[in-house]
Amino acid sequence: MTDLVLPDLVLHDDVLDENCYRVRLFLSLLGHRARTVAVNVVPGGAQDSPAFRAISPAGILPVLRIAGVDVCGAGAALLVLAHESGGHGSGTWLPRDPAGFAEVAHWLAFAGGPLTAAVRARRVFLFGEPGDRDGLRRQGAAALRIMEDHLALRWLDGRPWFAGDGPTVADVALFPSFALCRDWEVGHEAFPALRRWMRRMRARPGFVTMPGIPDPGLF
Amino acid sequence: MAERMRPAHARAPAGETADGAGHGAGHGNGWYPLMLSMDLEEGTVAGCTVLGRDLVVWRDAGGQAHVWDDRCPHRGMRFSLGIVRAGMLACLYHGWRFGPDGRCAHIPAHPELSPPPTLRADPLTAAERDGLVWVALGDAPAHGPATGVSAPCVPVRSLAVDAPAQEVARAIGLPAGSRAGGLDRDIDGLVLAAVLPVDRARSMLHLLVIRPAGVGTDRDRRRRVAVWGQDLRDRLEGAWAAA
Repeated sequence: MTDLVLPDLVLHDDVLDENCYRVRLFLSLLGHRARTVAVNVVPGGAQDSPAFRAISPAGILPVLRIAGVDVCGAGAALLVLAHESGGHGSGTWLPRDPAGFAEVAHWLAFAGGPLTAAVRARRVFLFGEPGDRDGLRRQGAAALRIMEDHLALRWLDGRPWFAGDGPTVADVALFPSFALCRDWEVGHEAFPALRRWMRRMRARPGFVTMPGIPDPGLF
Repeated sequence: MAERMRPAHARAPAGETADGAGHGAGHGNGWYPLMLSMDLEEGTVAGCTVLGRDLVVWRDAGGQAHVWDDRCPHRGMRFSLGIVRAGMLACLYHGWRFGPDGRCAHIPAHPELSPPPTLRADPLTAAERDGLVWVALGDAPAHGPATGVSAPCVPVRSLAVDAPAQEVARAIGLPAGSRAGGLDRDIDGLVLAAVLPVDRARSMLHLLVIRPAGVGTDRDRRRRVAVWGQDLRDRLEGAWAAA
């Protein structure tokens, strides 16, 4: 998996941040290593410092420096990495056929749209960020249910991933919100299709966890 | 929503009734359909809630399903976060391992120690039948879970429904007090539906298609049943939220 050499990859990273995990997970699945720069978000608030704003004008994490460009936000970083990985033996992460590409685009937009309620819910529950606790939890669970319904039908069609015929960058973009939903007090019991999918994701070579996702490798 | 179907319990073979899984429903006694068997892969662990009681469901390497209360006797950690190691359920917190009989058999921090027999989880009575994992709550059951179905069942999906189990059961046409039974769904054929009361306001609906002898189960049929379940869920939740 280390067939692609991407020199000078730098990830501005917060180990507890769900969006940073999205990119760490994808880098690992692709077999890439990035130099990480820790950003002290909680409690430091470093995402609002002038130094960080010079890199990420809106203060969003993560930032992936690739090919000399600072790419801000998980969605953009995932897309760039998927694009870079194409044609290097792991092209399935970003299908080139019109239907497969369209499906990936759809779910990337979902991850950057309705599913952000899950990301915000986790921040409210875990880090005490201001926000409508119950409302975000409800919206986050509703987004997970849309994912559950989609995968339940896909499984019946013999296509157990979100888009295309194998794992794609869409799966990487969606995975963390389900894997971490217990952080905002939504259990996995109500989502059997997502549980099946999670086990498949966990079995991928290069899969890594983050705090909040049980790591069976511990013992 | 029940207009297109009728309960198929009249078709139940002699000696079994469609409401066999519902005995003692009012007292919490009886068999409860926890999950689809296919959703409990070998060596995996799942959480489940029945009538507000949290359970862990796990399958050992030999394929046997086990159901315990979801609480490690050591520090009270949820077993359902754990993993299966060496044929035992290992708690995620300190790695203590508990065998199928519930007894603690291994403590990683003290590998030389033989844990006392009092250190144990309490296994509940579990069974697998008709493509479902069941648990018996309350009094020891006189017989296994019965759905009245006598042909192989092929899983479709499970759905979480934010409505009480009795509302779900009524909507799909199960007899009062019953948790599982066959439904005749016209072009979709016979469907096994099983309803789990998660708590007073939430339930899980498990759907399987029943495969009569010599008849294949096509993808379209299962897809239609899955979409029907989704539709039913959405209507039920809408009605329940408005009530």
